[in-house]
Amino acid sequence: MKPMLSTDLNVADVVVEKAKIEVKNLNFYYGQSKALKDINLSLPERSVTAFIGPSGCGKSTLLRVLNRIYELYPKQTAEGQVLLDGKNILDRSQDLNLLRTKIGMVFQKPTPFPMSIYENIAFGVRLYEKISKAEMDNRVEQALKRAALWNEVKDKLNASGQSLSGGQQQRLCIARTVAVKPEVILLDEPASALDPLSTAKIEELIDELQADYTIVIVTHNMQQAARVSRQTAFMYLGELVEFDRTEKIFTSPREKRTQDYITGRFG
Amino acid sequence: MSTAASLHQRRKRKNGVMMALCVIAAGIGLAWLALILGALLYKGLSGVSLSVFTEMTPPPGDAGGLLNAIYGSIVMTIIGIIVGTPIGVLAGTYMAEYGRFSRLTMVVRFINDILLSAPSIIVGLFVYELMVRPMGHFSAIAGAVALSILVIPVVVRTTEDMLNLVPNALREAGTAIGAPRWVVIRSVAYRAALSGIVTGILLAIARISGETAPLLFTALNNQFWSSNLNAPMASLPVTIFQFALSPYEEWQQLAWTGALIITLTVLGLSIFARSLTGRREDR
Repeated sequence: MKPMLSTDLNVADVVVEKAKIEVKNLNFYYGQSKALKDINLSLPERSVTAFIGPSGCGKSTLLRVLNRIYELYPKQTAEGQVLLDGKNILDRSQDLNLLRTKIGMVFQKPTPFPMSIYENIAFGVRLYEKISKAEMDNRVEQALKRAALWNEVKDKLNASGQSLSGGQQQRLCIARTVAVKPEVILLDEPASALDPLSTAKIEELIDELQADYTIVIVTHNMQQAARVSRQTAFMYLGELVEFDRTEKIFTSPREKRTQDYITGRFG
Repeated sequence: MSTAASLHQRRKRKNGVMMALCVIAAGIGLAWLALILGALLYKGLSGVSLSVFTEMTPPPGDAGGLLNAIYGSIVMTIIGIIVGTPIGVLAGTYMAEYGRFSRLTMVVRFINDILLSAPSIIVGLFVYELMVRPMGHFSAIAGAVALSILVIPVVVRTTEDMLNLVPNALREAGTAIGAPRWVVIRSVAYRAALSGIVTGILLAIARISGETAPLLFTALNNQFWSSNLNAPMASLPVTIFQFALSPYEEWQQLAWTGALIITLTVLGLSIFARSLTGRREDR
């Protein structure tokens, strides 16, 4: 196997046919405190990558750099490069709204908008596309089918999105993200607020979605990372400790810290 | 065992005393309210008739109604709200959305809180200097401006508070889907905070519909029907003030009736505002 990144010995074995996102020498600061230290990794296209690590290790921070959502808050700064299809998205000239239509995000807690199920999905589509009512109906249906929610809500599309159960709300959020046809989907602990059955459904969904999308998932749950991802990045104290094929990380990690974490010795 | 029992007894006695004090205090507070409402109903209700709503304020010694005063109150309240609400909502939006972390917001919030508790007579004097003196005469428009100045701090405060209650996760979600900031505010944040913002506006209406002091120096009063905004205009509070102080029985009766009308209107608005917030919390 040919090493993809030569900068770090521990980030070696993931063979990337085509990198969708490349992170290069990324540092991130909350005010003065450094939360990410010189991160380098490549996320392969149409594949699921998991970020794992103990609380505060920077995995969510790294995810939030990828669509620059951190810019909602003052005093958060990133330096380095994040290349999406070879183009640096940290560049000042990058249009943030367009970036976010390409890189969708689903959050830990379900966040349906205070509007109907139908509108929750149409809202995002309408921002950048002018399509007829019939096309929109079709778009909403496709998105809900994609998120395995259609059968449960097809008779109550005008009901409030907030009237759904937690698991359904989260699938609505995935449908909403898929509907704007992104290329990358970021999932920030998407199942941590859900019951096991809903979690299983979300994981099944992730598995199906990777045929069309590049997916990055942050998770606290190591079994979940093992189940859904093809490659896993283990982070600790703001550093990327090890990045490799998921089975490698979970069976024969190179680093002792990774070994200790996945065997439950800390974290 | 006996010590424990006596301790328990003592605690029970203390509890009883404190409870009684609390009940008495609450009772005293409520008693005044009940007395005021009772007196208003007793004295005012007998004067309520169709003519109150169809006839003008009478000269001393004559029978009449309150039509011009009711009309004036409604007109000036509506203009006050139309002018004050957009300013208040926009300022509140700036403070909660755009300038959440800025110094300017802290300064504005501080000044707004002062304005919120400023005596309304000062607002009346301010508008007197600002509009009545340069114009050379009292006018309904000056009265409406004085009322709008009272509306702004109430609406700013509730708008900011209600937008701050909208979870950030919702804003992040809107942003993450590619919506520009103003779309997130309009379609997500406003929608989530709508009932609270409307409640604030209703409370502002309730507040200004009973204000007398700011109108005394601005709209003054008018014995006759006038829909001219550039001329003095009657209003319920000022009419009540004038009639209640008069020696004429008919006027005093109309003052009671007017007071009852205002009180019931404010009560109704407050109950409506309550029901809106209540529904929001149920969700």
